[in-house]
Amino acid sequence: MNMAGIPLKSEAGKFSTGRYVAVNGWKVFAKACGIFAIALTYAPLIWLAVMSFSSRPLSGVPYPLSLEHYRALTRNPAWLEPFASSIIIGALVAIVCMILATAVGRAIPRARRPGGLVLFAIIPLFVPGMSMGAALFIAFRTVLDLKLGYWAVFFGHVVWALPFSLMMVLVIAVRFDYRLLEAAEDLGASSWRRFWDVEFPILRPGIVGAGLFGFLLSFNEILRSTFLRGTEATMPVWNWMMAASQQSQVPIIFSLATIVLFATLPILGGFFWLLFVKLDKD
Amino acid sequence: MSPDGGPMLKTTHGFAENMIDEQESKRSAMLELQHISHNYGAVKALRDVSLTAYKGEFLTILGESGSGKTTILRVISGLETATSAEVIAIEGANVAHVPAAHRNCTTVFQNYALFPHMSVQENVEYGLSVRGMPKADRAKRALEALEMVKLDGKADRRVSQLSGGERQRVALARAIVTQPAILLLDEPLGALDEKLRQQMQEELVRLHSRLGMTFVYITHSQEEALTMSDRIALMCNGEIVQIGTPEDLFDRPNSAFAAEFMGFENIFEGHLKEISDERVSVEVNGHGFHGRWSGHQAPLIGQKAFAAIRAERLKLEGAENHAEDNALKCSAGSTLYRGKYVDQHLQTEIGPMRARIWDRANRKSSISTVSWHPDDCVVTAP
Repeated sequence: MNMAGIPLKSEAGKFSTGRYVAVNGWKVFAKACGIFAIALTYAPLIWLAVMSFSSRPLSGVPYPLSLEHYRALTRNPAWLEPFASSIIIGALVAIVCMILATAVGRAIPRARRPGGLVLFAIIPLFVPGMSMGAALFIAFRTVLDLKLGYWAVFFGHVVWALPFSLMMVLVIAVRFDYRLLEAAEDLGASSWRRFWDVEFPILRPGIVGAGLFGFLLSFNEILRSTFLRGTEATMPVWNWMMAASQQSQVPIIFSLATIVLFATLPILGGFFWLLFVKLDKD
Repeated sequence: MSPDGGPMLKTTHGFAENMIDEQESKRSAMLELQHISHNYGAVKALRDVSLTAYKGEFLTILGESGSGKTTILRVISGLETATSAEVIAIEGANVAHVPAAHRNCTTVFQNYALFPHMSVQENVEYGLSVRGMPKADRAKRALEALEMVKLDGKADRRVSQLSGGERQRVALARAIVTQPAILLLDEPLGALDEKLRQQMQEELVRLHSRLGMTFVYITHSQEEALTMSDRIALMCNGEIVQIGTPEDLFDRPNSAFAAEFMGFENIFEGHLKEISDERVSVEVNGHGFHGRWSGHQAPLIGQKAFAAIRAERLKLEGAENHAEDNALKCSAGSTLYRGKYVDQHLQTEIGPMRARIWDRANRKSSISTVSWHPDDCVVTAP
């Protein structure tokens, strides 16, 4: 690289030499930042997976290796209910967010003044989770006098995830060419066929993205859940309770987190690939 | 092909027109519009428009952008509901309240509006698919339509893999595959380059005679209109100002606007002085010229009138003169090189004029008079 760079510098003259060096400097800096960010993200994850096989995970040394925490997981099925409820709530939130975000996301670009509507719809993104959780708690528990539980967590998660889902749909919907619908209508398509044959396939990446975000945001949510869960527990809430109770449960959480990581990551990765690589090519 | 792409087509067109003339008595209206008005807010896009297209006719609606021509097309297709419409009839049935999906006409859109997520064949099949046609039949029909626009062999391509001209053909195939009574074409050649446009003009004419379908074609190009149409409707400000054969519009514009739009370079305002059987005389700035009347109503002595002469009909020194020719003293101005010809600007007592010189070898160095035959002098209403 240097061999190629040196003659270029001498030929390029004084002014452009300076630029050449500056651009190179930026490249190195950007590369360093990128590597740092990637390392910060993936190294702890890999370390977590390694330590879940350690017999003493809090010691900081992987050896001696052991499967005892995974065995403990199978012996103690207390985590199964929170895990299942998180999956179910996440799936429901995903479905509801897809439907709502599609309906609203299609309507906003057709509105006379879409700017204000978009702002109004995404402001909940900036409401602190603690405030939203407390507000919903008061509304459900004290104003409506309802018994809190999974259903309240579900509503809280929909409120939290919907703006994200809406953004996913809107990014695609604002670029949608409505003349395509006119062309379909002109060719004899009913309003349902126009939606199903033309609009839906084109919006699909946004709609599936809305579902994925809905699931992920719900699956990871803890702040609002703590206000709304009543006596029930979702996976993150259960993990947090176990970690906070200073019992010997922490190693189990390592194993559980590893299982969840390796179960969800490939599925979501596959989804994204299907959505943005495969379907795009077709 | 002829140098300007015109004459060769004119021959075929003339033949088609003769056939239509023979059948004149049997002509039946395929499309009938009566008293259509449409407003976009305070803007009047269409003002009481009435129009008829006959079975198998190639009718062109010609006008500048904003003249309302696209609005007419959208009203016919049903994509726009006119503010008021007495009759919109297709094949004799009033469809004014029938939604676009159920009207027996399809549109070739200006931007093509092809479905980007479908292959070429899926695009073409779409109109058949919504009609519930079995897969095998619609594939056969789609391939036939693609063959007709010379795109067989590209049926499996994605729309994004096609050139502009090919997309245009897909749009055409998609619109004709359902065999509508009327094909509406909204400036379909607007986005193509010159050479491709001329080629597509020929193909459209051929397709039209092969299908026997009624074409309603929108364009702002008088050359396109003259080349392809059986009849032309000229629009201005939401009104049809003249309708007739290409020859009618080209040779007998009924107003100063029509004359200007149809490319008369020299137009002068004056008053009618004399009217005889064949000729009228118009006075422009103290000079009297003889010409033929082509206004939309009977001429009246003293009325405001315009004399219009095409640049190529102006004769400079050395040309053969007739005794009855109109003549004017002039001095030569600048020249403008236009490739096939040269435009010579002239200064005259009635104002600047433009003459066209095709034969550059015989250009005169000094010019002092310009003349033109009364048959080449169109006198028309404001």
